[in-house]
Amino acid sequence: MKVKVCMGSNCTLLGAMNILDQVEDLKDLISENEDYRDDELDIDVVKCLGYCKGESRNVSPVVVVDDEVICNATSQIVMEKIMKKLRK
Amino acid sequence: MKEIYVDLINIRRKVFAEIARIAYNDMDLSEIERIPYYIIPGEVAKYRENIFRERAIVEERLRLTLGLNVRSLKEFTKVTDGIDSIDVDKMVLDLPLVNVIKFACEACPDRAVIVTDNCRKCLAHPCTNVCPVNAVSIGKNRALIDKEKCIRCGKCKENCPYNAIIEYHRPCSQVCGVNAIESDELGRAKINDKKCVSCGRCITQCPFGAIADKSQIYQLIKALKTNDHMYAIIAPSFVGQFGLLVSPSQIFEGIKLLGFKDVVEVGLGADITTLNEAKEFLEKVPNEYPYMGTSCCNSWTLMVEKMFPDQYKYISDSASPMVETAKYIKRIDPEAIVTFIGPCISKKLEALREEVKDYVHFVITFEELMGMFVGKGIELSEIEVDKEIQDASILGRGFAAAGGVAEAVKKTAQMLDPSREILIESASNLHDCVKLMRIAKAGKKNGYLLEGMACPGGCIAGPGTLASIDRVRKALAQFMNQSKYNTPLENNNICKL
Repeated sequence: MKVKVCMGSNCTLLGAMNILDQVEDLKDLISENEDYRDDELDIDVVKCLGYCKGESRNVSPVVVVDDEVICNATSQIVMEKIMKKLRK
Repeated sequence: MKEIYVDLINIRRKVFAEIARIAYNDMDLSEIERIPYYIIPGEVAKYRENIFRERAIVEERLRLTLGLNVRSLKEFTKVTDGIDSIDVDKMVLDLPLVNVIKFACEACPDRAVIVTDNCRKCLAHPCTNVCPVNAVSIGKNRALIDKEKCIRCGKCKENCPYNAIIEYHRPCSQVCGVNAIESDELGRAKINDKKCVSCGRCITQCPFGAIADKSQIYQLIKALKTNDHMYAIIAPSFVGQFGLLVSPSQIFEGIKLLGFKDVVEVGLGADITTLNEAKEFLEKVPNEYPYMGTSCCNSWTLMVEKMFPDQYKYISDSASPMVETAKYIKRIDPEAIVTFIGPCISKKLEALREEVKDYVHFVITFEELMGMFVGKGIELSEIEVDKEIQDASILGRGFAAAGGVAEAVKKTAQMLDPSREILIESASNLHDCVKLMRIAKAGKKNGYLLEGMACPGGCIAGPGTLASIDRVRKALAQFMNQSKYNTPLENNNICKL
């Protein structure tokens, strides 16, 4: 599973690093829990994806989980999606 | 910064970005009346009981960011009142720096030990048996603590088998190392300015975001638009603050895109401070001074000045790295207008000092700088640059983390005089700084170099940071190793002086 955390200026201002910190912490959590597959979590940090440069300024932070783009992402929404997908 | 307080942080930072956008685009300042509707959109409250209050708090944040005072609910004032006085291109700082937004404060009760629903009213009830003032009794449904008798020692809490007793703190006053948080007639936080040393810990800890400091970004941007002699100096804790894909060189180039002529590492000034403090220590301790305190953290020196006035003379006379770096630039360009960019809000006060005000003209935080990047639409990771930054030594860059200052001064002093053994001790939060000073005052730290820092972990944990301390610590270690100078004595930039 591929998680892309946007690290553009807007997203960095509005907490992208905190989302990344929390998503990275999931690795420890799931490696200790047999109910989850821990070998598939691939976290990537990417340059500005450009969503905030469109019509609406109010979209940051942006996280992409597989093909799903999450605007105004919060760590709890992103983590819930990841955990659901990794559940055996 | 308490990074996990995401909603609070985002409101604060959006305000910075919006004020920067208004300033860069030369928009009329009456535009600020619209911003609360952009930051708190819709018709339904998200954070508090109603959207009017949410927007009113954003208005106060806008005022503080512009450098205006918070308003009183008692009298009629517009959000734009006083705006002419701050629509200038020079630093405006009307004290106090740290302000409680009164109608954002939820008047949290003071520290108390309380019994929760977990209490099972057990037969053993160790809570009653361990209480040194006999304040705990067993009521009809649960244990009861007599608030009048309770001395808040926490013994009942430690001994409860069900974790049913908790100690409750008021976050702002718990974190304040100088007991500066008092209460007004409505129980809301009130800062005693005689005690406050502007470390900013209360700003980061309040879960309601009710405390904020004033900013200078609006006036700074106005100055950047008209003055060709604007220089930025940036504290060593800047590495890692602006996102994972951004190199230190890209940050420097990004700052230039904001309108600065040049950027210099404050680590360079830290090298100068190190040399000065090392010489001062060798010269004065133990004959003139029983011990010597470092001088770079403004909240630490303010604390000593306010709480231990008779010991203040033992704080080093050497100017801080911020001031030394600014002086270095002034020598190169006498017309220089210098902006310090750091993790610290206390530096905003230091810049007002008589001996500093001619060298440092603006002070902003990393958070405020990030707001400026966004306000001007700068994508740091897209900047192409192949320059290397080599202003400071490994030891100078090390000032950013707790222990780094004492380490630098000690190593340098031992190189200057290998016969001397130098004892060091560090404290890196205000509570510990106060304790350390009490011990020093009692004569138990004679011969020591004492390093005091107000933020836990040092400047890398300052209130104006964006990244977690772990991330910055790693980035700092890497940045230190990239320096080609091991010590201040090797630093060619300052040898030229």
